Amino acid sequence: MNSRKYRAETLIDLPGQARPARAAAAAQAAKPAEPAPAMKPPDYRYIGKPSTRVDGRMIVTGQAKYTHDVKLRGMLVGKILRSPRAAAEIVSIDLAPALAVPGAMGALKLAEGKVRYAGQQVAAVAAVDERTAEKALGLIKVEYKTLPFVVDWEKARDASAPQVRDGKPNVEKINEYSRGDVEKGFAEADVVVEKTYRTGFEVHNPTETHGSVAAWEGDHLVVYDSTQNVHSVRDGLARALKVPASNVTVIKNYMGGGFGSKLGVNDYTIAAANLARQAGRPVKMLLSRRDNAVCVGYRPSSLQTYKVGAKKDGTLTALQLTNMASGGVGSGDDVGEPTVDIYKCPNCKVFEETVYTNTGGSRAMRAPGHTQGAFGIEGVMDELAAALDMDPLELRRKNYSTKNQGDTGIPYSSKGLDRCYELGAKAIGWERRNSRPGGGTANGPWRRGLGVATSIWYGAGVPGTLADIVLYPDMSVEVICGTQDLGTGTRTHMAVVAAETLGLDPKDITVKLGNSDYPWAPGSGGSQTTPSVAPAVRDAALKAVERLKAVAAARLKIEAGDVVMADRKFSSKSDPAKSATFAEVCRDLRRETVFHGERGGMPMDQFAFNTFGAHFAEVEVNVETGRIRVVKYAAAQDSGQVVNKLTAESQVIGGITQGLSAGIFEERVMDDATGNPVNPNLRDYKIATSLDIPEIAVLFADVFDPRINNLGVKGLGEPARVPSSAAVANAVYNAIGVHIREIPMTPKRVLEALKKKEAGS
Amino acid sequence: MREFKIAEPRTADEAAALLAETKETAALIAGGTDLLDELKSGVSGAGLVVDLRGVAGLSGIAAEKGGLRIGAMTRVVDLAGDAAVARDYPGLKGAAQSLATPQLRNVGTVGGNLCQRPRCWYYRDPQVVCRKKGGFNCFAYQGRNKYHCIFGGSGCFIVYPSDLAPALISLGATATIATAKGDKTIPLEAFYAGPDVDVTRENVLAKGQFLKSVWVPAPKAGQKSAYVKLEERGTWDFALVSAAVAGVVKGGALTEISIVMGGVAPVPWRLKKAEDALRGKPVTEAVIRQAADAALADASPLRENGYKTDLVFAALKEALTAIAA
Repeated sequence: MNSRKYRAETLIDLPGQARPARAAAAAQAAKPAEPAPAMKPPDYRYIGKPSTRVDGRMIVTGQAKYTHDVKLRGMLVGKILRSPRAAAEIVSIDLAPALAVPGAMGALKLAEGKVRYAGQQVAAVAAVDERTAEKALGLIKVEYKTLPFVVDWEKARDASAPQVRDGKPNVEKINEYSRGDVEKGFAEADVVVEKTYRTGFEVHNPTETHGSVAAWEGDHLVVYDSTQNVHSVRDGLARALKVPASNVTVIKNYMGGGFGSKLGVNDYTIAAANLARQAGRPVKMLLSRRDNAVCVGYRPSSLQTYKVGAKKDGTLTALQLTNMASGGVGSGDDVGEPTVDIYKCPNCKVFEETVYTNTGGSRAMRAPGHTQGAFGIEGVMDELAAALDMDPLELRRKNYSTKNQGDTGIPYSSKGLDRCYELGAKAIGWERRNSRPGGGTANGPWRRGLGVATSIWYGAGVPGTLADIVLYPDMSVEVICGTQDLGTGTRTHMAVVAAETLGLDPKDITVKLGNSDYPWAPGSGGSQTTPSVAPAVRDAALKAVERLKAVAAARLKIEAGDVVMADRKFSSKSDPAKSATFAEVCRDLRRETVFHGERGGMPMDQFAFNTFGAHFAEVEVNVETGRIRVVKYAAAQDSGQVVNKLTAESQVIGGITQGLSAGIFEERVMDDATGNPVNPNLRDYKIATSLDIPEIAVLFADVFDPRINNLGVKGLGEPARVPSSAAVANAVYNAIGVHIREIPMTPKRVLEALKKKEAGS
Repeated sequence: MREFKIAEPRTADEAAALLAETKETAALIAGGTDLLDELKSGVSGAGLVVDLRGVAGLSGIAAEKGGLRIGAMTRVVDLAGDAAVARDYPGLKGAAQSLATPQLRNVGTVGGNLCQRPRCWYYRDPQVVCRKKGGFNCFAYQGRNKYHCIFGGSGCFIVYPSDLAPALISLGATATIATAKGDKTIPLEAFYAGPDVDVTRENVLAKGQFLKSVWVPAPKAGQKSAYVKLEERGTWDFALVSAAVAGVVKGGALTEISIVMGGVAPVPWRLKKAEDALRGKPVTEAVIRQAADAALADASPLRENGYKTDLVFAALKEALTAIAA
């Protein structure tokens, strides 16, 4: 088991090893800002170049152990009984028949009072094997008193609809924003466009379903969890189980994706830990594909109405958004951020509400809010461009901002969006677009079109992230961080940064991550993993180099300032004959030595730190069958310094695939009568296959911004997803002259929209 | 998964006898691509699973009486790759190729495809007891029904999901059924029965009977055939609407025409009115429109599946254009 407590700091006995104080970072932040630095990228050997995954062989040969693969001695199988009803009062739960089954080793009641959605956990069992657990689960007697429920959010808005939460209305305000005077803005406008856009319920469906294995070793709890945040799961478990956080270790070695659905501690993990305590044996609790559709989140829906005013030349005068979100028993997403920020506009007003329903709660999903918001604001920008008879890309350039809050706030520390527009337009062949939506030549029933969409997202990383480098006298090197690799390539980027800094090969580095006993790192969400972890690793590695130079200087009897490191050697600048190998210098350390690194701060009061991107799609639409085929795609991202070009490209391709899929196929369908989804599987909930994915060009705007961190690294995971559904929808609009305004754009919706247009409404 | 017994007969007679005698609810397993899912989810309550994989003589494609005999246990991949099928029945080859994915075609069988259970999401939900499962309500009728039928619904609004059935029926195929008293042969079109006959089943197989093979007659002189499948996704999808057509074009006009659609009705749906409207006419967009309208006069779309009427025209147009070319 890999649960060793991380080495104590007392091993450090030389000066200069103290962790940089937060105060120092804050002081740095308070310094007056330098003028926007156009830093030339250093001449790196690995950073920014493609590196194959250090764990690629392990993964593709099945040796990498995922949570589902964990097998512990005496391990039991846990199963959860979930409410089939969308709202009910639990009258009684009888566990006795389940516990009477030979081989059933534990059982728990997990709910009392009301259940508020179908899929909510009610009881659990642990048994010696899966069959016994299923049998025991089936014998638990639950008496429900059925209550009225509502799963359709449009119906839940009615005053007469069943109340989802006790004593609170179903509709609740979640966001309000205003600057300038939109009414004045509309009065000044030559053209005003008002349109409504809808996005549906998109289920995360990671390849690896959710799951945990819990084991008690005395009073210490070890949990293997498929999670995006080992530290928050540890803290959540400690709170729920009333044990000290220091007595909990959470491990996540390999993972098959999360997309935001695995960010915190889960109720089934707590149940597994309680069952393990009750039975005195480890318990494995894995969720099913059906569970993924009912109880571990999804992207909440949106109904976004935009009113946009502009001058004849395209200058925006007012932006107004009202949104109604719905996230079941969860609070939904506000989607106004892209509208508030991205385009230069003095007058802006946003009002957002959410409506509660008796369905499982929504969770963050790859760019929560922004992905829905981008579909709306980017859609209306294209419809405005058509009303102005303007190129949609020109309209975006016309309203380009260099400060946040629509050019009224603080300046962006760096913004390579203009470069993204240029790169993407060139790669897709933007000049081939129909100058009027639907104005292209027909090829039988097929119409062709091109579309663009923009993204803004955060992703500058989290100050205070820690990472350690350990040097061993035998020249082996460890890099350790309590971050996690969701399958995105974190292990590889940590090896790349350490190897680059130490003058070694990524293969020489042993990477340790995915353990809450390791130095703190934030959750792997919000596109913050690389911009948090890479600078911390860099910081630790720079300190290691500094130390090695000092040790080399002692060995060579020269000044430390005279030492240069190159080709695994330390030599004297003034007398190149004097040199020592990397191995010799490591041996001189005499024992393992730890170097602590930390991601420093950013002047966030003076600058806005954001990521940007522009996506371009080319589609073919069949006006008789309603089928959409994406035939070509170009994505240009400003994510600052790329660490590993290979996995960065993979990340972008993944974001496009997900957005294309959500744009054309994916939708959870709820049934009013049963209160359950009718497609909680991968047959009727359709996800794009490899055959649906076109040729993709991935481009990076090489923006280098040292104010962000010591490598100029920004995040990429979400920026690659934000505009991808919108770009496809805008391309469909350019192809057929009618904006579908609702995703997914199924044949049904395409044909209905075409009919509506024919009817002239 | 509930517990069940498994039987492995060696001959067709033995299998028929087993099915006739058992007191359990029996299910046949061929490729097993769907039955295992049904058993695991609890949708199938079979107490006895009869494995046909060891039964001799059920697979293979062979010339017979000028036509082609296709054993029920023939894998879909072998049907799709057969030279005689490619030469004489392009519509059948197209249907086989459009079906599921390469992995499923490697395992799935012709008989399994022709006898598969519906994909209605209410039927497939183990928590729902609908009419097909012996309950009193069809949840789709008032519920979520974008994939459901526009023709032939009667208390149950499934669509029959097979790709091979429309193609085989359009080519005039017959079905040979094993019974305890020996084999019998009926037109494949008569093999299927709608919910008005027995809502719990989709075909006429009685207890103790199973599908042994299908036989496709020799193509008529100048016969062409095509299969068009309209899906939401480009692959691994069931048809929203599919059209199988077989016909003869002489002197610019259709002299013979047979049209069977999938995805529109609880059984493979013969478009007799469209056939009548097309016979003797040239294949033009206006004629196809008239034919589709004639067929659609019988359509009763539900709340969410009206778009399927557009797809009937689109599929018909694409299929007829293919055979007229």
